Amino acid sequence: MAAGVSVKESVKEMKRLKNEPLLLIVIAAIVIFVGYFVIYPVIRVITVPEWQDYAQLVQKARWATAIKNSLFMTVISTVSCTAVAFLFAYVNARLDVPCKGLFRFVTLLPIVSPPFIVALSYILLFGVQGIITKGVLGMQVDIYGRFGLWIVQTVTFFPYAYSVIYGVIRSISTNLEYAAYNMGATRWQVFRDVFFPLCRPGIAGGALIAAINVLTDFGNPMMIGGDLALLPTEAYMQISGWYDMKTASVLAVALLVPALMIFLVNRFWVGRRSYVTITGKEISLNPFSLPKWVKWTLFGLTMFISLFILLVYGTLLYGAFTKAWGYDWSMTLKNLQYVFHKGGQIWNSIKFAFLSSLGASFLAMILAYIVQKKQIGINKLLDFLAILPGAIPGIFLGIGFVMAFNEKPVELTGTAAIMVLALLFWNIPTCYSAATAGLQQIGNSVEDAALNLGANSFRSFKDIILPLLKAPFLSGFVLSFLRSVTCLSVVIFLYAPRTTVGTISIMVLVQNGQWGEAAAFTIVLITIAFAVLRAAQYILGKQGIKLEL
Amino acid sequence: MGYFIEFRNIVKRFDDFVALDHVSLNIPKGAFVTLLGPSGCGKTTLMRQLAGFSEPEEGDVLIEGKRMNGLPPFKRNTPLVFQEYALFPHMTVYENISYGLRLKKVPKDVVDRKVNDMLEMFNLQGLETRFPKQMSGGQQQRVAFARALIMGQEILLLDEPLSNLDAKLRVEVRSELRQIQQKLGITTIYVTHDQDEALSMSDIIAVMRRGKIEQIGSPWDIYFHPVNKFVADFVGTVNFLPATMVAAEEGGSLVSYAGQTLHVPVVLDVPAGGCISLVVRPECMHIAREGEISEHHARLDGVIDHYNFLGRVIRYWVRVGEHSFIIDDSNPDLTGARTGAVQLILDTAKLHALKDED
Repeated sequence: MAAGVSVKESVKEMKRLKNEPLLLIVIAAIVIFVGYFVIYPVIRVITVPEWQDYAQLVQKARWATAIKNSLFMTVISTVSCTAVAFLFAYVNARLDVPCKGLFRFVTLLPIVSPPFIVALSYILLFGVQGIITKGVLGMQVDIYGRFGLWIVQTVTFFPYAYSVIYGVIRSISTNLEYAAYNMGATRWQVFRDVFFPLCRPGIAGGALIAAINVLTDFGNPMMIGGDLALLPTEAYMQISGWYDMKTASVLAVALLVPALMIFLVNRFWVGRRSYVTITGKEISLNPFSLPKWVKWTLFGLTMFISLFILLVYGTLLYGAFTKAWGYDWSMTLKNLQYVFHKGGQIWNSIKFAFLSSLGASFLAMILAYIVQKKQIGINKLLDFLAILPGAIPGIFLGIGFVMAFNEKPVELTGTAAIMVLALLFWNIPTCYSAATAGLQQIGNSVEDAALNLGANSFRSFKDIILPLLKAPFLSGFVLSFLRSVTCLSVVIFLYAPRTTVGTISIMVLVQNGQWGEAAAFTIVLITIAFAVLRAAQYILGKQGIKLEL
Repeated sequence: MGYFIEFRNIVKRFDDFVALDHVSLNIPKGAFVTLLGPSGCGKTTLMRQLAGFSEPEEGDVLIEGKRMNGLPPFKRNTPLVFQEYALFPHMTVYENISYGLRLKKVPKDVVDRKVNDMLEMFNLQGLETRFPKQMSGGQQQRVAFARALIMGQEILLLDEPLSNLDAKLRVEVRSELRQIQQKLGITTIYVTHDQDEALSMSDIIAVMRRGKIEQIGSPWDIYFHPVNKFVADFVGTVNFLPATMVAAEEGGSLVSYAGQTLHVPVVLDVPAGGCISLVVRPECMHIAREGEISEHHARLDGVIDHYNFLGRVIRYWVRVGEHSFIIDDSNPDLTGARTGAVQLILDTAKLHALKDED
């Protein structure tokens, strides 16, 4: 009955669209565009292997081990990421302690860095030529494998969980806790019965975000995984070593299934269980203070992890100016000179990131606008198209692009266009959620008011929505830019000698043991990322808008 | 007979919920019509059908005899003042007010003149360059009115525009608003759940409940001759007295209540002996003073339960048998409220009666 009515409703709304042909054209264009560059590559990857190729997953021991290892790493790294993220979020949101600026800074660093730099730094610290293992302790350990990867992934991905959990904790009114104290609950009872249950949606959401990142992580396992077989790296080996597209596709599909599951659970289960209601009211009372020993224990833990992260980045900086890591510790600028010599790759990184982010932000904003503000039947499909790339592992998207666009009619292999397009569609969900959040803050009636005064859909979008979306547009753009500059997994299959980007060079340098050059390259990329972030914050700050990452 | 605005048999559903159930309403030109009802009764939904923000499943919306269905909102010329004002946060007062005219490419000097007229009418001079968040709620609300009225249309839609103002300002604005509306002769539809606003401003009130219009009439009709208990109760304070029909009379009915036979000025379609309810407003009865009672008074014996002193009146709750009556004494004693046993005198000329619903 309800379905029948909503179908009727959709048909009626579609009829109304006849009055707005522009909107109709835009929707059709978006559906075709996204369908061709997202759905089509996905279908290619899934349909290329035969049934017997898929059967290898269970028959061949190495692939079964890769699945097992990938899931195992996902579980342990997600648990540690979530725990660290909760600690940081709680300390930053609720405790009255010094050094919060430092804590916030270290949660930002991994987000603006290439995904493998923690691994690189970890090698510099604890590897065969490691400054601590060889230099200080004079010992030789094998850091490659599960344990090293676990530490590295925890540091790399906890910030993603942190931002979700922090957002939820910030939105929990302390008044609720005071109400519980008022009824006679002890601190522990308040934490257990009120605070923690309210955090749960945030913790679940944060954990799932961390999980999808860990599962699809390519850079860190590539550098520090050693012999550990994992799905993303194995898929890469199949293509780079054997040009075996079918097996690579099978492994990519094996990766897609759990990624899609995590994604859907996050979207439809956690998303609906959030208790958070945004009332626009700031937290009114200061949090009730904790016993001193609890507070300082939490502070100490947070400080320890923060210092470790600083050490990671400090090591990179040191490495960038060191002649030969492990042998000759004297200072040099030759590594930086090397980077400038390879300036074209840095320029490629910036160019591709800029173009793809610009495209993604525009497309995402139009999508978000239509989905949020236009009550039409096709909205569910558009929403699905916009978030779908978020469920697709980077490595999968890369393989998909290789297979979908290496022949006519659209032959893009080896061009700059394929790099930009892949990054563009990979970034749509990031920009889409920023735009959606921005639109939801604009009251519905504001746009109704414009329509009411005689503005058609196009005018009200241009005059009302667009100016109000400046901030979410820019934050989507910046996030997407940072993701693109630091992206490795999507582009690893798509680059040609002329379109090589910084992250690929770093990977090659690390594999060749050229630590100094790799570190210098990384430092330059991080500097660019940070400069862009600060510039955007400055521009928005002048208009009184705070850029949230 | 051509009405200016017509709603014909409007049906609007949200999934399984019927928001408007065959609603019809005719509005003559220049009238101030209030849609009054509790939240969720469909009053805002009905107005939105006229503005074109949503489309009815069945029925027609007409302005000056022209069918509006399917026409997008920006072609309907139905300026609306929103409950939360919906001012554009990134535009100044001037830009907000002039936006509709600028869309129509009205020349700059004409826009300037019209905006100035509006600023003057709403006492907003000097605030042209302010942004909405730099102004008080009352000022924002006047900008919202100006933005709607500057369009010079013959229709004005108001969606609970006063609900975000404090009580005192609300009373001021409502009389100003009524004066402006009468001066400009704009046909106005006003949505509210506040009975005082409805009674004080309207030419016509339509009382709504659960997607249906319960009664359409003048404020006097609605207040003194409600068609059912819901309307009686929603519009004002009321006491219901169970009574029985005795006989129909010239221009009224004879009814029996608590052993007394009363004449009420209402013709009822009820057979003798049938159950009815007397509708007694607080001002339709008063507490008898010393020696006031005489033979021909309709009266009740009661005991004062408690009271509220409100300044200009004292509101008494008087228990009579099982019932508690609300009575307003508009001439309070200087020294204090009355207590104990009292006699109540009914003003039978102002009484209303309803046939009991099953």
